[in-house]
Amino acid sequence: MITSLRRMLTCHWSARRIQRYLDHDPSALLAPGEVRRLEEHLAICEKCTQLAAEHQALNRALARWPGQQQPDPASLARLHEAVDRLVNQEDE
Amino acid sequence: MGSRSVPTPSDSADPARALAFRTHVEPELEVLLRVARTLTGNPADAEDLVQETVIRAFRALERFDGAHPRAWLLTILRHTNMNMHRRQRPDLVEDWAAVQGARPAFGAVGVPIPEDTVMDQILDEDLERAVSSLDARFRSVLMLVDVDRLTYAEAADALGVPVGTVMSRLSRARNRVRLHLRNTATVQGRNR
Repeated sequence: MITSLRRMLTCHWSARRIQRYLDHDPSALLAPGEVRRLEEHLAICEKCTQLAAEHQALNRALARWPGQQQPDPASLARLHEAVDRLVNQEDE
Repeated sequence: MGSRSVPTPSDSADPARALAFRTHVEPELEVLLRVARTLTGNPADAEDLVQETVIRAFRALERFDGAHPRAWLLTILRHTNMNMHRRQRPDLVEDWAAVQGARPAFGAVGVPIPEDTVMDQILDEDLERAVSSLDARFRSVLMLVDVDRLTYAEAADALGVPVGTVMSRLSRARNRVRLHLRNTATVQGRNR
């Protein structure tokens, strides 16, 4: 009973940190102790491991978002030309 | 699209200023264009927005300390976008955010992945449906961080909200999309 309750609390704690753990964003890094605790939990908890896997799969899917990853080269070229115009004006 | 109001010669000063501008701005053009695409929803408006942003950045160069060009440009982009679209789409404009980062979003730390998970069978149309069902405030953060690959801080700059707000909206957006996709897969008995 106590073990189950403890596991449940750890799942709740972990679920609130899994995204930050996976993102590894410099603005919101987990403390080393949190990383260690989370990884220990993931090693034994199928439910939380599944949750982490779902977030990773979602991230991979979003990375393929149609039309978003590569801007139109012509559009980008026009923007570089705009910079050139500004800078050339500066050089004159 | 095309040429917009180019600064007058009085904006010009010296070649060093021109070089600084090129150094700060050119490496960020692609990121700005992607973010603008997310903010405006279409490529033509995105290009206009970035052109205007570049011009405003040029005029504001003296006030830039050179420390974080991407953050500086994203802030200008956000203000420019608000000015250009406030009358038409206040809610949308309020909420979109920012740039590609060096951070490897997801996967920086390996987690064992069962490749047969339902989520690995995500179809583009299901994903688009799930994302489009989000409130604009949540959708914009999701797109900026997970599609445009901005860091939390860059997304915060682009949206004009605190990093904590980006994190909470991102978390809720991902969870909603994840549950939406899981339900879709369950309903369809996904075996595609």
